[in-house]
Amino acid sequence: MIPPFDWQRVVVAPWTDGLPTYGWVVLMGFLVALACGLIGNFLVLRRMALVGDAISHSILPGIAVAFLLSKSRGTIVMFSGALVAGLVTTVLIEFIHRRTRVKQDAAIGIVFSTLFAFGVLLISMFAGQVDLDADCVLYGELGLVGMEPYAMIGGVEIAPQPVLTMGIVCLLVVALIFFFYKELLVSSFDPALATSLGMRPGVVHHALMAALSVVVVGAFRAVGAILVIAMLILPGATAYLLVSRLPRMLLLSVIHAALSAVAGLHLGVWLDCSIGAAMVVAGAALFTLAWLRVLLGRRLVGSPPEPEGTSMIGG
Amino acid sequence: MTPALETHDLTVAYHKRPVLYGVDLAVPPGHLVGIMGPNGAGKTTLIKAVMGIVPPVSGWVKIFGEPASRALGRVGYVPQRESVDWDFPVNVMDVVLMGRYGRLGLGRRVGAKEREIARACLEKVGMLPLADRQIANLSGGQQQRVFLARALAQESDLYLMDEPFAGVDATTEAAIVTLLQELKARGKTILVVHHDLTSAQQYFDMLLLVNLRVVAFGDTAEVFTEELLQKTYGGRLTILSKIAQEVKNQG
Amino acid sequence: MMLLLFLLSVLPADAARISDVTETSALEQAVRFFTFRDPSLRLALAGSLLLGVSCGLLGAFLVVRRMALVGDTLSHAVLPGVALGFLWNMTKDPLAIFTGACVAGLLGTMVVGWITRTTKLKEDAALGLVLAVFFGAGLVLMGMIQRLPMASKSGLDKCLFGQAAALGGGDVKLMAVTTAATILLLSVFYKEFLVASFDVAFARTIGMPVRLLHGALMMLLAAAVVVALQAVGVMLVSAMLITPAATAYLLTDRMHRMLVLSALFGLCSGAMGAFFSFLGSNLPTGPCMVLAASALFAGAFLFAPRHGLVVRWWRRRSRNLQVARENTLKAIFHVIEAGGFSREGVALEELAARRRCTVDEAQREVLALVADRLATMDKARRVVHATPEGWRKAQAMVRNHRLWELYLTNRANFRADHVHDDAEEMEHLLDEETVRLLERRLDFPERDPHGREIPKVIGGGGGER
Repeated sequence: MIPPFDWQRVVVAPWTDGLPTYGWVVLMGFLVALACGLIGNFLVLRRMALVGDAISHSILPGIAVAFLLSKSRGTIVMFSGALVAGLVTTVLIEFIHRRTRVKQDAAIGIVFSTLFAFGVLLISMFAGQVDLDADCVLYGELGLVGMEPYAMIGGVEIAPQPVLTMGIVCLLVVALIFFFYKELLVSSFDPALATSLGMRPGVVHHALMAALSVVVVGAFRAVGAILVIAMLILPGATAYLLVSRLPRMLLLSVIHAALSAVAGLHLGVWLDCSIGAAMVVAGAALFTLAWLRVLLGRRLVGSPPEPEGTSMIGG
Repeated sequence: MTPALETHDLTVAYHKRPVLYGVDLAVPPGHLVGIMGPNGAGKTTLIKAVMGIVPPVSGWVKIFGEPASRALGRVGYVPQRESVDWDFPVNVMDVVLMGRYGRLGLGRRVGAKEREIARACLEKVGMLPLADRQIANLSGGQQQRVFLARALAQESDLYLMDEPFAGVDATTEAAIVTLLQELKARGKTILVVHHDLTSAQQYFDMLLLVNLRVVAFGDTAEVFTEELLQKTYGGRLTILSKIAQEVKNQG
Repeated sequence: MMLLLFLLSVLPADAARISDVTETSALEQAVRFFTFRDPSLRLALAGSLLLGVSCGLLGAFLVVRRMALVGDTLSHAVLPGVALGFLWNMTKDPLAIFTGACVAGLLGTMVVGWITRTTKLKEDAALGLVLAVFFGAGLVLMGMIQRLPMASKSGLDKCLFGQAAALGGGDVKLMAVTTAATILLLSVFYKEFLVASFDVAFARTIGMPVRLLHGALMMLLAAAVVVALQAVGVMLVSAMLITPAATAYLLTDRMHRMLVLSALFGLCSGAMGAFFSFLGSNLPTGPCMVLAASALFAGAFLFAPRHGLVVRWWRRRSRNLQVARENTLKAIFHVIEAGGFSREGVALEELAARRRCTVDEAQREVLALVADRLATMDKARRVVHATPEGWRKAQAMVRNHRLWELYLTNRANFRADHVHDDAEEMEHLLDEETVRLLERRLDFPERDPHGREIPKVIGGGGGER
């Protein structure tokens, strides 16, 4: 069942003969993991990883409805559908959580499963009209990205449309983090201080959610609804275990994204399975390494250097 | 003289349950004020309402004669230590630099000048040698000093501190007191939520006794009396709290 | 009992695909659904009902323990187990798949616990991480199975979105067993589960095997999730755990009632989901069930007798009307008081001046009083008289107001010019008992802080509750 490991086919070919296809695949994988990972750092730090989970599910009906209304699969249409769905999700979760005694975790579960179910139903009811199917929801189209139509600028073929879009999304995310670094840092660390500095953490929160929705659409088309969550959490979580400064954490999550994209490509080619899923498995392996380092480091040093201060925080 | 902090009929409710009723207050500048009262008396709420972190149901707040929202730049805030995640990937220096963020515009980076100020503030609280430490690897007293250094870096005229003495060692407590006296001597106004009745007389020159509303406010010598303390901490407000409960049930 | 009889009649039947016979109108489909002619339909329905009950019961514990998303993680983490169970002997053997999936699900929840204990990562990140990574591993395995030259693999992909029609007799039997086991364990060890959910530390101090109970709950949960996979699908099974239980949580304050209601809502969503997916020929069952459950939740959200939004809005509205009525009565009292109690009628103009409204508005307010027999008007509709009942109420309002002002100034150290607004609100809320208490505390006062007389109320009648 496991195909034999053929050095030539698995390791060499993707970078030589297969480069026109696989090059785009690995680039796209990297861009997706990069955008997701950068945003995901803040989700991990703000303890909002599961909101990422919720949004990655609930943008499905947003995309489906946008398709059905406009009959086009234009980038703008898709992103606006997702943006609306993402904001609806966060607002609904807040609404249920505030207005009833249902706790936030249950509110998240209810909202995203409802929206996702609605999306799946739409897709199966209008299977002929929607340019999405169950496979896309699960696996994404990462492996096929090289066959997408190329974007033309000034008559020159630049890159496949999805790769170009994702590249732009990445630039936006990087710009966002660069310009609003202070605001993101303070509102994640100490929202009360952010308020007192006049930073309006509520606005930062909603901007982050909007950016998340935009990032997730691109990633959703590439790796499917569930694996997006892994893309969001894995780089940040791995980096969080290894370093103790935010800039290094961001940098390390970029490295994680690159490594898992490349390793995922080879694993996917070897096992002939979805490259998105293989990227997640590779990323998880990197996380496990980081985790092992934490466990071993603890054993070597004895107990971690935690003075009396940390024990008093809980009390 | 314009009061450093002035509130009128400030009322705050959580989930429709009032936790602070009609607070009228005028704190003259240049004083070190202790805020005291039993648990759940609304001490933290008062500070948060002044900062605009919790919205009041009624009333207003003025800071140096200006509406609070416009004067927040002149307020330094020291939250309770439990309110932040100490595993957060920042080091001591980063936290202190946050105090300068309010003065940097959108998108502006931290420069050498900011670092210099932060270093000076760390020096003042005796934490400069630990500037590169990750904040999880600090003791409780050290964490509190970092928060103080951050408040100093804000270079404010009014400081609001929520239990800076909670769970710190004796050395840190003494250091904090010295620092507060020094700030006062420089004409700053400091409001400190405090729990320990025994040290209150010694630390503060004014006291604010709170229990759901202001019980007393004035010079420590006048306010620190058996009768007023009894009124603050004694259970004479049973009807008030019973009715607060009923209002809540009525929704 | 009915359920059991129904199940007995269903189990021996053979499974055939419902979709084979669906080229008919929706109405005919509905008729076929309710006559239960199709053996496969009976199986599908039985499965849906069973999973509704077991998920509803277990979900109630998840929701009260704030572990709703643990259910989500567990349900995604079973996927590699499903694939491995299939690889065990290369057939869709329910028992092998069941075992594999349970092991994978439990392993997933254990890894979550392990990560949060040994690293500084918080629970949300650990949950999301395990969820997605296990699911990714499952997809890799499924991708490998898809390429195996075997016919029997068909149906495995159905476990992602669920197709109740694909349920076989063996599946339903397994569901019946797990549901029965769940009901049995939960009813026998109800108080243990209750205590361990409410207060772990306390449960531990009274010597309860907390870890064992937690393990048992996770085990049951894994089993329930796995048997539900065929019908609802991996992606949405968590909703069947969370939504019915959250709906029940909106409706009751007691755990045992919540369990019953939650099971009931699970049952209803199961049945409705099966029905709607049967109506439309190409609809997966899972989403239908989830939407049915969400519709029930929305219903409870809006119309629950105590916490529902509509109900609360209605209650607020009627309270506002009551407050308005009482304020009108109070204004009548004030006008008469200002005249030294020398007359009984109040002209609308005087009332309007007192209420600071127009005469038309005052008339409307008085008409509301007339409708409640609290006041009468003369034929020309210009002069108002309070009825004895209305007068008592007016006195009570004024008394409450002044008592409260007195209490605030004397006992709570409020300044006299600060108490009016608060009293304005409190006068409508004080009941007779509190009023007696206030009077006793204040030594049966005669005058309020502003020196006005506190009226005596003859014959009781405080603010109506």
